[in-house]
Amino acid sequence: MVLDPWGWMMMMCFFVALPCALLGAYLILRRMSLVGDAISHSALPGIVVAFAFVGDLSSPWLLVGAAVAGVLVTFLIEQIHRRTRIKQDSAIGIAFTSLFALGLVLIRVLLGDKVHLHQDSVLEGNVSHVTYAKTVRFLGLDVPDSLFPAAIVAVVTVALIIVFYRILTLSSFDAGLAASLGYSPGVVHYALMAVLSVVVVSAFEAVGAILVIALLILPGATAYLCTHRMKLMLFLSAVHALISSIAGIYISVWFNGKASAGVVIAGTLLFLLAWMIGPADGVLVKAIQRRRHLLD
Amino acid sequence: MELLSNIGFYLALSLGQKAVVAAICVGIVCGLLGCFVVVRRVALVGDAISHAVFPGVVAGFMWSDERNPWVIFLCALVAGLLGVIMVRAIVSSTKLKTDAALGVVLASFFAVGVFWNSTLELAGVDGFLFGDLTTISDEDLWLILGSTFMVSVLIYIFFRPFRVLSFDEGFAVGLGYPVRFLNGLFFGLLAFTVVVAMQAVGVILVSAMLITPAATAYLLTDRIQRMLGLSVLLGVVTALGGWWIANLDVRFQSGPMITLFGALIFSFGYFLAPRHGVMAKFLRHAGRKSRVHRENTLKSIYRIIESDGFKSGGVGVTQLAEMRKISFEEVAKDGRDLVRSGEATWEEGETAIYLTSSGWRRAAEIVRNHRLWELYLTDQADYAADHVHEDAEKIEHVLGADTVRKLERDLNFPQFDPHGKPIPSLEATLQMEQAVGKQEETGY
Amino acid sequence: MIALETHDLTVTYHKRPVLYGVDVEIEQGSLVGIIGPNGAGKSTLIKSIMGVVPAAGGWVKVFGKPIKENLHRVGYVPQRESVDWDFPVTVMDVALMGTYGKLGLFGRVGKREKMIASEALDKVGMLPYAKRQIGNLSGGQQQRVFLARALAQDSDLYFMDEPFTGVDAATESAIIALLKEMRENGKTVLVVHHDLQSAKEYFDHLLLLNMRLVAYGKTEEMYTNELLQKTYGGRLTILDEVAERAAQIPEASHRL
Repeated sequence: MVLDPWGWMMMMCFFVALPCALLGAYLILRRMSLVGDAISHSALPGIVVAFAFVGDLSSPWLLVGAAVAGVLVTFLIEQIHRRTRIKQDSAIGIAFTSLFALGLVLIRVLLGDKVHLHQDSVLEGNVSHVTYAKTVRFLGLDVPDSLFPAAIVAVVTVALIIVFYRILTLSSFDAGLAASLGYSPGVVHYALMAVLSVVVVSAFEAVGAILVIALLILPGATAYLCTHRMKLMLFLSAVHALISSIAGIYISVWFNGKASAGVVIAGTLLFLLAWMIGPADGVLVKAIQRRRHLLD
Repeated sequence: MELLSNIGFYLALSLGQKAVVAAICVGIVCGLLGCFVVVRRVALVGDAISHAVFPGVVAGFMWSDERNPWVIFLCALVAGLLGVIMVRAIVSSTKLKTDAALGVVLASFFAVGVFWNSTLELAGVDGFLFGDLTTISDEDLWLILGSTFMVSVLIYIFFRPFRVLSFDEGFAVGLGYPVRFLNGLFFGLLAFTVVVAMQAVGVILVSAMLITPAATAYLLTDRIQRMLGLSVLLGVVTALGGWWIANLDVRFQSGPMITLFGALIFSFGYFLAPRHGVMAKFLRHAGRKSRVHRENTLKSIYRIIESDGFKSGGVGVTQLAEMRKISFEEVAKDGRDLVRSGEATWEEGETAIYLTSSGWRRAAEIVRNHRLWELYLTDQADYAADHVHEDAEKIEHVLGADTVRKLERDLNFPQFDPHGKPIPSLEATLQMEQAVGKQEETGY
Repeated sequence: MIALETHDLTVTYHKRPVLYGVDVEIEQGSLVGIIGPNGAGKSTLIKSIMGVVPAAGGWVKVFGKPIKENLHRVGYVPQRESVDWDFPVTVMDVALMGTYGKLGLFGRVGKREKMIASEALDKVGMLPYAKRQIGNLSGGQQQRVFLARALAQDSDLYFMDEPFTGVDAATESAIIALLKEMRENGKTVLVVHHDLQSAKEYFDHLLLLNMRLVAYGKTEEMYTNELLQKTYGGRLTILDEVAERAAQIPEASHRL
């Protein structure tokens, strides 16, 4: 049996969006959304260097390169704002723009124009290559092989979040109590950053450096407007990832636009919807409640 | 319009010269605005705006024949302002925090731009993503020049209120400043600046021009006026330097090169800035450390001489090693440090150390500080006697002359410390110093 | 039995010393008020004992062991403002967090934990609100939830940071009744408190703090003019002045 190409693209989008959505929910609660942005930009030089060595876009070394770059940027940010008077927001800005620019230069210098790691796809990603990738027999289906790394990253991330759900939630809510129970906030922070780097790379190929931030932030922000329950927020983030993956591919087909951007646009529409009618924090919902309150 | 658009012709500027003029302008506007961005801690708002203008750029391309820069400029500005407004709206109407709102706006606006662009397949939009100084047209240049002039004049006029606003928004409200208007103006100017600069460095790297030169300036000076000047200067140097490097090789683009050159200058500032640089901090730290170490050696020497009843002006190396419980080599090294700083002299063959008059004065000072502080802690701060020593060890090195005088007064000019040891008074020290001086003159 | 013992506990916070050599021994079953002016280091004392803020010197023992080995016997109630009340958790979730310490890293929340949390919530009168999001509570209710979480921790020694700030009178008396009940059950409770007047009624011991330990003892013995003068009579200006400069000194200089 063969799924149609659009189906595979939806699946690919979902597999990269799911781990982003779950981690992103925590980023929002920890007020670190823009650190996610910094990491996603900074992964570029790591990926380029790794690619220049192995010459294969699906090599796991790319994950390693990006993870190194991700840890490097967190380190640079810390060095700048800990050791000088420069505040964290500027430190983030300096660190990630430098690394991103370095990545852009390295693409040209190390790879030249001949390779298909184009600037365009670096920024905006490309999902459609799933459809013409080699396939592997798996569970009676001809599965494109580039789906597997993304699926593995997704499964591992989900598993990690389930296992460490309690600690992650506790340390995000009340770092003081977590520390007093012996869970060092520093360890939790760096572990989160490391996983984040890997997840960002897995999404990189599909959606590009800049749109990763959308996959990270939009689901969590949408879910945050819809619920006051942590587990439900994670679940809704995952649902957001699923719906925007499916709807995004449809949008991109209808308007003949880029699939990755289509997914983000679908996600944005869901966010706007939640902003208006989100049960927990939607503007209209609150307005109606206020009205009812006045009438009573 | 005909006249304006031919400015390049009238000034007879070559492509390269146009790029240089544009780079200078971008350096100026980014330097000016960047200062306030850095001190107001809104660096990432700049980043969000820079991504948010992208759909405006695409719209500008679509709605203008032959890429009219005025239309593009206007559309981008509108998109940027919409982005700012949306961030404010999200934050004020929901419980989402600023960082999440910035992330949402940045990502969704940019995605709209990317998607729209991908459906139209317009040529030239990518130039705005990464910036390209070589494609600056006469009209672009005119626009950039005009914008730079306008932003500079506005910053000049509104300098004082902006400074107050950056430092303390609440205070600005108290002064009766129209804070809402000023904030609107500020973020409007920010959006304007982003749109001007994106030509040179591209949408994604505008934040680099905005933040990096200003942050470097922030490391170099403490005054906002000077910071503005420096930031403009560094902005211009960054833009020109990056442009120059980009010309060295066809594979280099101006945007990333300007960013990297800015980062290079920043790293110089980071390490070498006179007061706030990492190196200066390290040296200060190391200098303090070695001074503290020297002073501890002096103190030990003083104690040995004291236990001798002040009979001799020097101590043997063995004595010192025993007292400090360290090896001869370490004593020799400590001794050499003292000799180098002119606080002691060696006896022939490095077997004994004699303090010079300045060394003696310092030693007495340290011992006085130490004992005064101990006395203060037990007398006035109710310290248990067994804690006092370690604390005094640290404090004695940082008591200034004024604090010592205050301590002496508060403690009523004491003679003895809590352990019963005499506290060397200033007078007694001077007498001893003279005695040591005489010994020096007479060759010990 | 001695519940808490500190010796020469010294803390520098953001490179600025805020506590000097605190020596104190607290008997099990005491209800202690930590009293002092603003900036006296009250919260810092608690945080450094808990290890949330690293101490620059000295040591802490809880029930005769270093605190790291006895963390499970210690409960901590941070200041109400220290957490984000928009966080998407319910009252029940927060109370359940109290049981996390005993669950370890991988234990699952089961019926037993839910029972403990419900009981704790019931005790502070918050059980009817169990399913509410914590942001929709009044200040007093939020404080009660924190208290329920502490109860669910079932510790022997509690530290509470300003539990009476911004709460209504009903909550205040409910909290104090609960604290007294805890004391009857042999718990030791240390409470950071800023109101000298009510401290007289609430606590049986007082710990007077102003950058250093001024005094510790039975409440009635602490209300002497001399001690209060020492606690509230302004900071020791020289100590304060020198504190800043001392923070700059490298550690290696300790050696003679």
